[in-house]
Amino acid sequence: MSLVRYVAVNIIGTILRFFPWRGKAGLIEIGHPGRSSPVLVTCNYRLTMERVRGALQGMDAYLLVANSRGINVWCAATGGLLTNHDIISVLKTSGIEDSVDHREVILPQLAATGIEARVVEKMTGWKVVWGPVYAQDIALFTKSKMDKTEQMREVAFPWTQRIEMATAWAFPISLFLALIMMLLWREGILPGLLLVWGLSLLIYLSFPLYGRWLGSGRGFSFIVFAFVILWVLVMLGLVSYCILAGGSDWGPVARWGFVSFIVLLFLGIDFLGSTPMYKSSLHEDRLLKVALDEQKCRGVGYCEQVCPRNCYEVDRDQRRARMRRAERCVQCGACVVQCPFDALYFRSPDGEMIPPETIRKFKLNLMGRRLVK
Amino acid sequence: VSTYVLMKVLESAPSRYDKGLRILTLGRLDEVYDRLASHIEKGQKVLDLGCGTGALTLRAAAQGAEVKGIDVNPQMLAIAQKRADEADLAHRVELCEMGVAELGSEDAESYDAVMSGLCFSELTEGEMSYALKEVRRVLKPEGLLLIADEVRPEGLGRRIIHGVIRSPLVIIAYLITQTTTSAVKNLTDRIEEVGLLVEWVRSNRLGSFVELVARRPGSGER
Repeated sequence: MSLVRYVAVNIIGTILRFFPWRGKAGLIEIGHPGRSSPVLVTCNYRLTMERVRGALQGMDAYLLVANSRGINVWCAATGGLLTNHDIISVLKTSGIEDSVDHREVILPQLAATGIEARVVEKMTGWKVVWGPVYAQDIALFTKSKMDKTEQMREVAFPWTQRIEMATAWAFPISLFLALIMMLLWREGILPGLLLVWGLSLLIYLSFPLYGRWLGSGRGFSFIVFAFVILWVLVMLGLVSYCILAGGSDWGPVARWGFVSFIVLLFLGIDFLGSTPMYKSSLHEDRLLKVALDEQKCRGVGYCEQVCPRNCYEVDRDQRRARMRRAERCVQCGACVVQCPFDALYFRSPDGEMIPPETIRKFKLNLMGRRLVK
Repeated sequence: VSTYVLMKVLESAPSRYDKGLRILTLGRLDEVYDRLASHIEKGQKVLDLGCGTGALTLRAAAQGAEVKGIDVNPQMLAIAQKRADEADLAHRVELCEMGVAELGSEDAESYDAVMSGLCFSELTEGEMSYALKEVRRVLKPEGLLLIADEVRPEGLGRRIIHGVIRSPLVIIAYLITQTTTSAVKNLTDRIEEVGLLVEWVRSNRLGSFVELVARRPGSGER
């Protein structure tokens, strides 16, 4: 039964990936937890809940589901839908305080963009530990006494996730296309769907071939360039097919050219944001750079613990953090939010400084802007 | 152009919040809030749970009460503060970024009234039970709990009609405010479970929206 549910939730969650889906917030027992079992937090995005539960099979633990309004951890935390208040709330109202003797809670690392560990500790007395990025690493993480390897801290974009993202885009686009073509051009529906799924899978599966050129601000112009090239290739294909078939009717070429242009436009519009390796090109924050105030840094390394791209290296002897791999930064802001000495801040292209208080208080909205008044 | 308009609407989500909620409640919200606030008397100490942009807080302050408004959204609070300043009520209003789970910091029996407009429908089940217990604790004996909120209608037929009417409104409201609510189940039962007496309930025809007044029993009664 739970397998059927797991599969169903995964299918629905994948094809409707861009829509919020709320699960029930509160306390879930995994296995047979006791008074010293680990306490973990996740969000109430239904797909995440299902996968976290699946990944925790075989463990004895308490899973607290915080109210993220049906949105995944990273987006909800960055967008102000999973806040300190939601974590405090689930610790206070779920009954967990009566179920365990310790006061240590493992939060998903990606929540560090929006949850301030210090505030949660001050308000509840619970010590926050930043867990791994992916739920599949939790078992190993708790066994190894909360020691996170570099790989556990980093976001990845393996082929499974790439197929998921390709599906997440292809499904709504093909639905939209099919609805329109139903009225205008019925015989075009089937090839139209093949075009959508083919292009989407092609773009996402071939990501490792071109992904490295998308970094450091040039990403968006590269995408535009790449999508124009792709469209020209599709057009060339159409034209040569038409010539080879000996046709003199250019109508289908024009029609398919138009359809493929629209499809590519949809696929390209937030391509960067659909990967975990880059900030969405729709988000203003993508132009920011994280800056380090060396006077304030004491090398405690919270930045290193929460950076999902492993940008930081902490010199424990010199008590200094350095952004050795700054070019990999996705401007998620987790390091800025967590630094206890306010040594990190964002700097805009025109040199303006955006202090940590602003990043902590004003979250990105759906259009990728911070509403600073 | 329409995309641009949509973007602008979304960008200013908190300031559009009231408008979105008005759509969701089909414009009834103002009179409902006026009626709730009419229970507040001059000089009373009032707590507003989930005050948002201050709709209830300011009404209570205008009646002469000292009001503490709490909300988890700092952007909403900024708007509420601005409105309080503009209405020259800031001296009677205190706004705090705080969730219902953080009410432990409030003294027992310290409020004459607790108000809540469209807040319970944004809470999880656990939060709601916790919040109601805390409300009882912070209310003085004879103190009032005043609620206006969306509830789940009784009976399958009504529930289906409600769902059909509500779904387009939910989509519009979501686009404007980027929040949505889930109707509260068994509100009156849950209020009575924590030991408050429900004195007055007014519900719309469909039974999907209630205004409710409950009272904490005085020391002599149970």
